[in-house]
Amino acid sequence: MAETIIETSGLTRSYGDICALKPLDLVVSEGEWLSVMGHSGSGKSTLLNLVGGLDRPSNGSLRVGGEDLLALSEDGLARFRREFVGIIFQQHHLVPYLTAVENVMLAQYFHSVPDEAEARSALERVGLGHRLKNRPGELSGGEQQRVCIARAIINSPKLLLGDEPTGNLDHSSTVMVMELLKELRAEERFTVVMVTHNQEVAAWGDRTIYLDDGVLVREERMRS
Amino acid sequence: MVAVTLSLQLIAWTVIVLVIMRGIPGHRRAVTIGAGIGFALGVAGVLVMYRLLPGRVPLGMIKTALGVSFFFLWTIAVAAIYRSNVRDFPLLRWGWFVDTPLSAWTGAIMAGIVAGSIIACRLPGFDIAAIQLLAFAALALAGALLASAARAVERLLPSLITVTPSALLAAVVALLLFCSSSLLRLDLFSPLSMKVMKGIHDFVHQFMESILIPDHIFIRPAIWGYIGILFGKEVGFWGGMVIWFTPAILVALAIYCEPLPSVAHIRQGAQRRRLLADAIRTQRYRLVIPAVAVVALAAAAYQSSFPSVEYWDPKPLAVTATPAGEILIPKKGEVDLEDGKLHKYLYKRGDKEVRFFVLMTPDGKLTVDLDACAICKPDGYGQAEGTIICYYCKTLIPLDTVGKPGGCNPVPVPFTERADGVHIDGMSLVNNWTRTVQATTRVKEGNK
Repeated sequence: MAETIIETSGLTRSYGDICALKPLDLVVSEGEWLSVMGHSGSGKSTLLNLVGGLDRPSNGSLRVGGEDLLALSEDGLARFRREFVGIIFQQHHLVPYLTAVENVMLAQYFHSVPDEAEARSALERVGLGHRLKNRPGELSGGEQQRVCIARAIINSPKLLLGDEPTGNLDHSSTVMVMELLKELRAEERFTVVMVTHNQEVAAWGDRTIYLDDGVLVREERMRS
Repeated sequence: MVAVTLSLQLIAWTVIVLVIMRGIPGHRRAVTIGAGIGFALGVAGVLVMYRLLPGRVPLGMIKTALGVSFFFLWTIAVAAIYRSNVRDFPLLRWGWFVDTPLSAWTGAIMAGIVAGSIIACRLPGFDIAAIQLLAFAALALAGALLASAARAVERLLPSLITVTPSALLAAVVALLLFCSSSLLRLDLFSPLSMKVMKGIHDFVHQFMESILIPDHIFIRPAIWGYIGILFGKEVGFWGGMVIWFTPAILVALAIYCEPLPSVAHIRQGAQRRRLLADAIRTQRYRLVIPAVAVVALAAAAYQSSFPSVEYWDPKPLAVTATPAGEILIPKKGEVDLEDGKLHKYLYKRGDKEVRFFVLMTPDGKLTVDLDACAICKPDGYGQAEGTIICYYCKTLIPLDTVGKPGGCNPVPVPFTERADGVHIDGMSLVNNWTRTVQATTRVKEGNK
């Protein structure tokens, strides 16, 4: 039986009077692909930020990879993010004046030390071996997202978080990115938590949870 | 002023213990106790010397210990830089010794003895034996307490700061040199600069002057102007600086050049990079201790160049000669010639000005000397701590050798001592000044 990688109990996040995430109990197993769906403002990104150590909960408990994130200091949380988590954003957040390979090396730099050969190899793995020296502005949306995937997996994270990674992509690019993620997950055996609006994208996962107004309202296990 | 200097020295002592403790992390208790005992032994040793040989504490022994340790540091530093590239060096096969009780006890006691004796020399003299005993006991106690305090401070230091054996040696020696540099007679930097200056002088003199230049038709006399530059004290100072700082810098370089661990066998890139990053970080933090050594050496050189000691340097009193050309300086006139202090005078004859001084040496004899030596520019002398110091080259001359000719000693002047005072022949005084001092000035200034 797979070990638990994420475990929340009564996890809550409030911003003043607004409760973005109401007490949530959730367990995610190691190697699982969890899709998180819901309308805008349903608390999907809030959950992702909490699990990725980008934000701190208002209440409840949160253990990721055996670490109690509430007990970690800011430095500890930074170390956790650096070594445990890879994140892919909808807006890419690539540094515009760095080339594709330099963007990947930047993630290496913040993790440990840069290694250009390894960064090149990661980009080749995502099919961008011919675009190493191009800047983000010279790449298509799908290509940029593939750079983001290379950047997210370069430090061998145990947990890959995606915040609507295909939100800006057309259908064919979406399929390409999702296939790539599936392939990488099979090789690297990381856990995926992906927030999406798209039912088709959610279907790539093993399980989908639905949030509405900060509450987990439904859970659906996909047939493999 | 003594209190301030003592405080700085005691802080340096605390850092010494702290560095040894971090360098021998498995035996902190042994280091604490050993350092306390060693310090007390050093202080007690100086007290015993004070009592047995009043006024003649064998500072030479301490200075020799410092010089030997500095030479040893040089050897280890060269070996360390060699090893950082070649990987093995017989002198540095001391892994078995580094973190053992033997190294902890030996290192702490030896450092304690040297530090204790240096700092004890800084205590002012006390006429009453009981007060002297009390002061020394208080100093020994303070040293032992600070060794314990160092243990508490060491726990607060980030664990990333580790100490290599060569860095440990560099820091301890540098801090000991810092402690000693506040005491004129224990200072090593000024004599080192002086040695360099003399070495350059002798080399130039023997090689260039005596052999090459007179025989070489293409070398014009103007070259003397350039050769004169080599005789300046700045050359000695900067040469001394190079010798002074090189071992600590070599130790730092050796750490910087240490090869990183082999990670080729690790399959996962992130893990491989993480190991490399950890090794690089450890290496960077290891540079902290050599940096401490460099700072301590810089402070020592500064103290040596700008000592806080106040020299006795009275304004020269103008004297005149009788019509027969004789200068009379009464023993109990404006000043008391027999008070053991330097008394300076200025004699003018025509356009010539001569500075000289009268001093009673510790053996009770009066001596009259020019306020200049035959080697340096005539910057004159000051008096401090049982010595006179040449302002130009910072050489210390013990009071009992003043009046003897040669080296950097002030040039003796013939005189006659009678009941009424000291009688000097004005003409021979002027001739003496002209013959030695003004000739020296020309050489130093490159025949300008």
